[in-house]
Amino acid sequence: MFRPKGRTVVITTATLAVLLGVGLAATLLTQGKSNASADGIIEYQQRPVAPDFTATSLTGATIKLSSYRGKTVVLNFWGSWCPPCRAEGPTLAALAEQYGKRGVAFLGDDVGDTPANALSFTRGIGIGYPSINDPGYAVVQKFSQVSPVSDTPTTVVIDKSGHVVGMVLGEVSYGQMTTLLRDAAVVQ
Amino acid sequence: MPVNLGFAHASNDFLIAALLIYSLAVLAFAGDYAFGRPRRAAGAAAGVRTGARAGARLAAVGAGQATVGPDAGDLDAGDLDAGGPDTADGTPGDGASGIVAPAVPARPVVPPGAFRAMWEAGPWVRAAAALSAVGMLAHLVAVVTRGLAVHRAPWGNMYEFITALTCVAAIFFGYIVLRYRAWTLGVFVMGAVVLALGLAETLIYTPAGPLVPALQSYWLSIHVTAMTLATGIFFVAAVLGIMYLVSEIYRKRVEAGKAEPGNGLISRIPSAQTLDKLTYRTVVFGFPVWTFGVIAGAIWADQAWGRYWGWDPVETWAFITWVIYAAYLHARATAGWRGARAHYIQLLGFVSLVTNMLVVQVFITGMHSYAGVSG
Amino acid sequence: MTDVHTPASGPEPVTEQGEATQPFGGGDTGAADGGTGGTSQPSQGNAGWLRWGWRQLTSMRTALILLFLLALGSIPGSVLPQQGADPAAVQQYYAAHPALAPWLNHLGLFNVFAAPWFAAIYLLLFTSLVGCVVPRTFKLAGAARTPPPRAPRNLARLPHSSTYASALPPGAAVEGAAAVLGGQRFRLRRSEAAATDQGSAEHWVSAEKGYLREAGNLLFHLSLLGVLVSIAVGGLFGYKADKLVVEGQPAFADTVSALDEFHPGRLVSGSDLAPFSLALNKFTASYLTSGESRGQPSDFNANVTYRSSPGAKPASYNIRINDPLSVDSVKVYLIGHGYAPVFKVTGADGKVDYQEATPFIPANTGTFLSDGVVKAPSSGTGEADLGFMGVFVPTAIKVGGTLESIFPAADNPAVSLIGYSGNLGMNSGVSQSVYQLDTTGMTKISGSPHLLLPGQTWQLPGGKGSITFVGVKQWVSLAITYDPGQMPALVCGILALAGLLLSFFVRRRRVFVRAVPAETGTGSVVTVGGLTRSDASGGFEEEFAELAAEIAAAESVKHPEEGA
Repeated sequence: MFRPKGRTVVITTATLAVLLGVGLAATLLTQGKSNASADGIIEYQQRPVAPDFTATSLTGATIKLSSYRGKTVVLNFWGSWCPPCRAEGPTLAALAEQYGKRGVAFLGDDVGDTPANALSFTRGIGIGYPSINDPGYAVVQKFSQVSPVSDTPTTVVIDKSGHVVGMVLGEVSYGQMTTLLRDAAVVQ
Repeated sequence: MPVNLGFAHASNDFLIAALLIYSLAVLAFAGDYAFGRPRRAAGAAAGVRTGARAGARLAAVGAGQATVGPDAGDLDAGDLDAGGPDTADGTPGDGASGIVAPAVPARPVVPPGAFRAMWEAGPWVRAAAALSAVGMLAHLVAVVTRGLAVHRAPWGNMYEFITALTCVAAIFFGYIVLRYRAWTLGVFVMGAVVLALGLAETLIYTPAGPLVPALQSYWLSIHVTAMTLATGIFFVAAVLGIMYLVSEIYRKRVEAGKAEPGNGLISRIPSAQTLDKLTYRTVVFGFPVWTFGVIAGAIWADQAWGRYWGWDPVETWAFITWVIYAAYLHARATAGWRGARAHYIQLLGFVSLVTNMLVVQVFITGMHSYAGVSG
Repeated sequence: MTDVHTPASGPEPVTEQGEATQPFGGGDTGAADGGTGGTSQPSQGNAGWLRWGWRQLTSMRTALILLFLLALGSIPGSVLPQQGADPAAVQQYYAAHPALAPWLNHLGLFNVFAAPWFAAIYLLLFTSLVGCVVPRTFKLAGAARTPPPRAPRNLARLPHSSTYASALPPGAAVEGAAAVLGGQRFRLRRSEAAATDQGSAEHWVSAEKGYLREAGNLLFHLSLLGVLVSIAVGGLFGYKADKLVVEGQPAFADTVSALDEFHPGRLVSGSDLAPFSLALNKFTASYLTSGESRGQPSDFNANVTYRSSPGAKPASYNIRINDPLSVDSVKVYLIGHGYAPVFKVTGADGKVDYQEATPFIPANTGTFLSDGVVKAPSSGTGEADLGFMGVFVPTAIKVGGTLESIFPAADNPAVSLIGYSGNLGMNSGVSQSVYQLDTTGMTKISGSPHLLLPGQTWQLPGGKGSITFVGVKQWVSLAITYDPGQMPALVCGILALAGLLLSFFVRRRRVFVRAVPAETGTGSVVTVGGLTRSDASGGFEEEFAELAAEIAAAESVKHPEEGA
């Protein structure tokens, strides 16, 4: 009568048990990865090309990213409903004032918002640079294909040749921005 | 579509009629117990004979001849025929399973018809059978007219669910009676049906009405139908399980000399062995239906709620019930766990099922709160 | 010749539902034992202990205990609030039972089904399962190649047997029977060629059928394993997300920052999201307007327009409760709905500070009386922020001075507001819930709530500004899910069901036919015997009776001139 060697049975059983263990360990480890990403700077070793997009600003003007070629761009994703975005507003306004003279362009992407609410905020803080009206996160989606924008606020720095230098997730600080801008070869 | 009030009222009336007719049937079954023909003597002999046969085979095992493949109590028609044609001498009337000496060639014989056997069992059994049949018919009409009234499958809330599952239980029990000639179980099974229906009518009644959008799906016909069928079948199994335990206690008392094997109430019911077999077969029938119901529920949950399993309280308890019945099936295959212990497990499974139905669905908030009962 | 019947390949000791569990590599454990043979003392040494432990783990009794533990362990998961399903309820439980809740949390009772101890139970259970199923698979393969055993000498002692007289000599009679059995797809084994002494030749045939029973049993258990693996795959590579969308809002793109909630599997990152975008055109909820169930919803319909990727052609769909939208392999479900009254707030300077449809959360799912908050931070420095707590009623009536809703449709909408001015705290950078107003740092504007009908404006006292109730829109909450393990889990579930049915309703059975020469004449006396193991569904006696009748009849058909 056919009786497999004890060894065959052991090996088969052990293999299945190991597969089982691996599978179950995986299940155990998939306990709700939290949504929050750590705040901080990300800088790219290999700078990817920033995707071009055409969009409408809060005031109705057309904005095209490629038209900023030749200038360093600071692109800030924000919303008037978002407290950290509101908190970093003054910092960005000051940076825009300071570096605007050196040829750095500041651009906002207002997400999940209405123009009335957004303009109320920029008016109050004194932000003069334009913001894209992006209530449906369409520009975010496009940008995320190259450089994942997973949080609001996120601030991205793009160099003069249209490559993404890096980004800050969460509320920006003055120091973080100057680091990125220096690496974009703006600040000596 | 608005509710058809004519059918709705008809459904209520037919259900009440069914309840009354079932009650009379239960009385008739009880009357058979009290006043019907004595037949336990034959049944006891049959039970003992089966036991003796098993004993002979086990002895053969001891002698090294492992011919004893089959379960010692393989269910023959003779086992359950405690009320069959009077064979007081205990010889089985059904030759197909009999031990026939090789020297006497005989052709295999087909068992006599079930209806005829019931007829011959006496006027009480005839009355009980007739009343049960009429009651089942009324019950079925009640369920169908309810469905016609609300233009959908009539198991959309707790009341409808209970009326439908008791109908399944009654019809399934009818099948068991015919197949295994088990009308002595009538008092208990039909009595339980009457109790459940009474509960539904008085405490859980919900007027006919349309379903909330979440329930408007063809999956209602699949998932809830399966659960209704399975619950009805497990209902019967639970009653049989209780009867088994009673029968076991009685048998032990007889062996210990504390009770007389006679014509009393308990001596009327089939042997513990028979009930054990019957319960097992009933659970075997219901378990795949319950499994299918859970799978269908998962498919529906995915359609409606976006995930096929979310440990919703009702889902969890359906799982618990499944696991306990699985434990019962495993217990039947484990030495030391057969017999009464396995039946406790089976009854625990039914308790879990009823808890799911009456407690979890009503009192614990989850996504399954469609009972229609305020609570 | 010895009286038959127990070569090593004879019928194993039988149990009601399947063979006794064999410790792997071991032999028979004796009569009808459910694997408790392992309770004997282990042999010396570590290998002996391991072997003993393994035998314990894979025994039926252990499986039984683990099944109980699994059922028992699931109970707290259904009675206590669970973190995964309802975090708010868990918070409420903490508030209601401040001393008990932390202990329950330590035991993992607020997240039972992800707790390590629960995982340990089913891990052990499945290990036990694997350890039992694998050896039995090999055994089945072996048994399938083994011919049926020799026919026992005394067939009359079998539980099913019958005898008839045949006009044919023994050899021919047995052949006839074998033909019938072979026609029924039994596997056959015939007696050997005639012995040297013609008179004492044996004529018998053994037939066996029903291997599918054990195959079904194994298929069932392995499929359960498959279900578990599918669930794990889904947990690794799948994700769930929620998004609240208001009617008429521009389409939202499926990207992480757009989603209200995002629960990715372990190996999922934001870039794995499908690149679709979706807009809610109109949400329609129908309610019963008459009869006993007045106010009960009868239909929900969310009409959406979506693109499967940027630049793709737009398509439209009606998402209903039991009818999700499928985009690529992602499904979008309609989970809930509510009202979003539109407000316009102007500041002290008269400029618009806020204009938006503001989702309100239903407090009562029968009447849809809803609560919400409007936060209008100021635009001018020196101006105070404005905040409002509101109650929205879709069909308003005043009952004894209290605003109530009597019907869930927006037949007579009204909103009642309490105003605050001061500092909303939104510029400090600390995240706030959009549904809650933090009134520390704010002062109430007026004493009693102010009622607004659509189109009406409340001029705030003290020149602080105004708020206008412009109109009402509806919102829906959508669940976006991707689960690659879903289809495999279904397939395994169906296979498990198939295996279960096979294992219950197929019987492993053996039929033997033996013929001995008749006392007189050239005929023979043929005995047919049958036995079955694990006849879960009953019915073998009928099958046997039919077989026996067919065998007897076939012979008379074949040789009609000889008579019966």
